[in-house]
Amino acid sequence: MTETLDTFAFWLRGTQISEAIRVLPWLWPVCEILHFFGLSLLVGVAGFFDLRLLGFMRRVPLSAAWSLMPWAKAGFALSAITGLTFFVGAPDQYVNNLAFYGKLIFLLIAALNAAYFEVAYRKTVERKEADLQAPNAFRIIAAVSLVSWFFVIYWGRMLPFIGNAF
Amino acid sequence: MMELLASLENSGFGTWLRESPSIWAYPAVLTLHTFGLGVLVGGNAVLDLRLLGYAPGIPLASLEKLFPMMWAGFWVNAISGVALFVADATTKGTTWVFITKLGIIVVGVLVLFAIRREVYGQNAEAAVATSTSRVLAVASLTLWFLAIVTGRYMAYV
Repeated sequence: MTETLDTFAFWLRGTQISEAIRVLPWLWPVCEILHFFGLSLLVGVAGFFDLRLLGFMRRVPLSAAWSLMPWAKAGFALSAITGLTFFVGAPDQYVNNLAFYGKLIFLLIAALNAAYFEVAYRKTVERKEADLQAPNAFRIIAAVSLVSWFFVIYWGRMLPFIGNAF
Repeated sequence: MMELLASLENSGFGTWLRESPSIWAYPAVLTLHTFGLGVLVGGNAVLDLRLLGYAPGIPLASLEKLFPMMWAGFWVNAISGVALFVADATTKGTTWVFITKLGIIVVGVLVLFAIRREVYGQNAEAAVATSTSRVLAVASLTLWFLAIVTGRYMAYV
């Protein structure tokens, strides 16, 4: 397993795009800044929506809170693109890094949870049908979202300490 | 000044935080600093976006509840930030990046006070976005972005 991963990392590191990412000295720090700004947008806006789903700020109509969610998605896109840049630029820092897989697992949980909400409840929310009486499932979805994003940040922060990334 | 910074850095706490291999030392404090950042900047982003006219269905009055959360994020970061500073005081305390970051945060907090006063000062229940509050919202988003810029830069000094 480790050997396959090392071979993959070695191959990816040798590609032109990986080299291009490493050649520009300012690109990595700029991506870090955008990665953190994206994180703030994502957890701020999605966290706000989750708190509303959990029953806080009941005076905010669910449909109105939902209309802010494109900003959370923009934050996610920003962090995803910059995160992918880190991976392509220095795959050897991640493929044998336990924290990286911890982060991926919780990212997957968070993404599946959000996708399920989108597929199952988007129309209910947009038609304002959930403004007065929200389905009980919303609380579970919100809790899963908050906990999984918490651990995405935790494992992301652990990348240089448990593993070998900087 | 340099002696003070050196004595901070060489204090028992500073040395422990910097040199302990424990996952509960430097990594934990840095993680707290990241969570606080997400809550403080994220909460500000929600309020600022609403002031700028996004999600107009959200009653501004109800967003006053974000303030205790933003303050919680702020204090988590003030405390974890002092700890991170102590661990590396001679380096962080002598760079313009750190001074700049502190200045940006001070102005960011002042802008947050100003938003509270402008939007919720008269009648919190009937809070509306004024043109002044929109200018403050743009300033807020810019300042917290710059706080992240200088904060990330700190890792390179």
